[in-house]
Amino acid sequence: MLDSERLAVAAHVHVLLRRKTGRVTDTEWMAGNADYAREIVRFCRLRAQQDALPELGEWADKLERAMQLAPAAAPGPAGFAAMPALNRTPPGGGVERYVGGIR
Amino acid sequence: MDMTGRQGRRYGAKAPHSYSAHAAGLAAGGMGLCAWALPAGAAGEAAAPLTAPAMVQMATLNGADTGWLMVCTALVLLMTLPGVALFYAGMVRRKNVLNTLASVLLVACVVSVLWFAAGYSLAFTPGDGILGGFTRLGFAGLDPDWAGQRVSVSHMAPNVPEAAFAMFQLSFAVITAALLVGALVERMRFTALLVFIALWTLAVYVPVAHWVWEPGGWLARLGALDFAGGTVVHVNAGAAGLACAWYLGPRQDYGREAFEPYNLGWTMLGASLLLIGWFGFNAGSALAADSRAALALAVTHLAAAGGALGWLIAEWLLRRRASLLGLCSGLVAGLVAITPAAGYVGLGPALLIGLIAGAVCYWGATGLKRALGADDALDVFGVHGVGGIVGSLLTGVFASRSIAGVQGQIGTQMLTVLAVAVFSFVATGVLLWLTDRLVGLRVSHASEQTGLDFSLHRERLG
Repeated sequence: MLDSERLAVAAHVHVLLRRKTGRVTDTEWMAGNADYAREIVRFCRLRAQQDALPELGEWADKLERAMQLAPAAAPGPAGFAAMPALNRTPPGGGVERYVGGIR
Repeated sequence: MDMTGRQGRRYGAKAPHSYSAHAAGLAAGGMGLCAWALPAGAAGEAAAPLTAPAMVQMATLNGADTGWLMVCTALVLLMTLPGVALFYAGMVRRKNVLNTLASVLLVACVVSVLWFAAGYSLAFTPGDGILGGFTRLGFAGLDPDWAGQRVSVSHMAPNVPEAAFAMFQLSFAVITAALLVGALVERMRFTALLVFIALWTLAVYVPVAHWVWEPGGWLARLGALDFAGGTVVHVNAGAAGLACAWYLGPRQDYGREAFEPYNLGWTMLGASLLLIGWFGFNAGSALAADSRAALALAVTHLAAAGGALGWLIAEWLLRRRASLLGLCSGLVAGLVAITPAAGYVGLGPALLIGLIAGAVCYWGATGLKRALGADDALDVFGVHGVGGIVGSLLTGVFASRSIAGVQGQIGTQMLTVLAVAVFSFVATGVLLWLTDRLVGLRVSHASEQTGLDFSLHRERLG
C-alpha cells in the first residue's frame, strides 16, 4: 500500500476518534509507527465495543490492514493511557507541537 | 506644507507642544485647516484652529479627504469582519470555531452601539486630561443642516464631516476589543463576554483613546507620539489580553495535550485581510488623502514584510523550521509595530522596525509566554502587546523632525507605554472580577470538553 493511502486511513481514524471519543491522535505517527498504530487499533476496537460505535471497529480493521499489523498478543495493562506519545508529537520530531502554545 | 501638517492630522500634531507649533506654522503659512475650518459665520475673521467640534460650511470640506476616510473606515472594519474573525478561528480547535467567529461578531456589534451611545463623545470631545465631554452622546449634533449648508466637523479633522471621523474611530474601537477575543477563546461564557466587552470599551478603551489622541488628553499634552494606535490599540489590547488569560486560567489540559488549530489556511486568509485593512488603519490615520498618508501606506507594507522575515529568521535559527503560522504572525507583528510610527518615520527605519518586531514577537509568543505562565491562547500579548511596546519605543528613536514635524522622545514613549499598560492591566482585572460576580466568567468543564460551538450555541461546523 502506498504511503499516501496509509496516511489517508490514519487521517480518517484520527478524525473519527476526535469526533466520537474526544481523543486527539497524531496522524503522521499513526501512519508511520507500527506500535503506535497497533495501540490505536486496540483503542478503537475497545471504544467501538464500549460505546456501540461499529464505524470505529471497521476503520480499526482498515488501519490494521493498511499498516500490515500482526494481531496483538495481548492488550497492555494500562492500554492507551500508558502511551506517553499518544497525544503528543512523535519523539522523532523533537518538539511537542501545539502543546502549551500554538506558535 | 505637508510637513507641518493639518491641524486635523491626528496623532502627532495632537501632542500639545507640537500642536501649538503646528497651529503657529499653519497660521504663518496661511494655508491648511485654518482656512478650511472657519466656524460658520466666522468668515472674514482671523482664522483660528478649532478646539472643539463645530459647525462649518459644507463648502469648506475636502472631498478627497472625506472619500479617503470613508474608504479607510471600511478597510478597518474589514480587518475585524472577517479579518480577525478568520485569523482567530483558524487557530482554535475545531469544536470552538463557531464560538470564536460569533465572539468577534458580537464584539463588533456591542462596541458599535456603545460607541454611538457614549464612547465617541467621551473619547474625542474636549473635557479634562482624563476623559472627554458629553456633547456628542448618541452622536448628537452630527446631523447636517441642509438648509444652512452647514455640517459638523471634529476639531481633530476639520476638513471632513464629523460623522466620517466618528465612524473611522468606531472601527478602531471595534478592532481593539475584538483583539481581546484571542486571549479568552475556548473557555469564556458568551454572556460574560458581552458584559465584559461593554464594560471594557467604556472603562478602558475610551479613556486611553482620550489620553493619547484627544489634544487635551494628559499623555497627548506630554508629547506622546502614536500615529495610528500602537499604545491605544495594541499595548492596550495586549495588556488587557494578558489580564484576561491570567484571570480566566488555563484551558483544560493546557500544556498536556496538543491543541491542534482547526485550519491555518483560515489564519492565512485572516492575516492577508489584516494586511490590506491595515493600509486603511495607518494611512487613514493621516485623516487626509495627502503625502503623509502615502508615506504611511508605504511604511506599513515594508514593516509587514520585515516582520514576517524577522519572525522567519528567528524561527529558523531556533527551531529549524519555517511555518505558515510564523509568517502570518510575523506579518502582524510588523504591522503592529509600525502602527505608532507610520506617519513619522521613513522607509528604512520602517523596515528595521518590522524586522526587529518580528524577531522580538517570536520570543514574546514562545519564550516570554512560557515565562509568564498564562494561557494567552492566541498570543494577544505576545504579538500585539510586545509588538506595540517595541513599535512605540522605536517611534521615540526613529521619529524625526523632518518627517514627523516633531522629534521623538524615548522617555515620553516609555511613560506612555507604561501608563497605558498598567492602567489597562489593572482595570481589566477589576472588570473581570466584576463580570465574574455578575454573570460568571467560565463555562463548565463539561461544556469546555464538548466544545463551545455546541455547548453554547447548539451549532456544529458540519
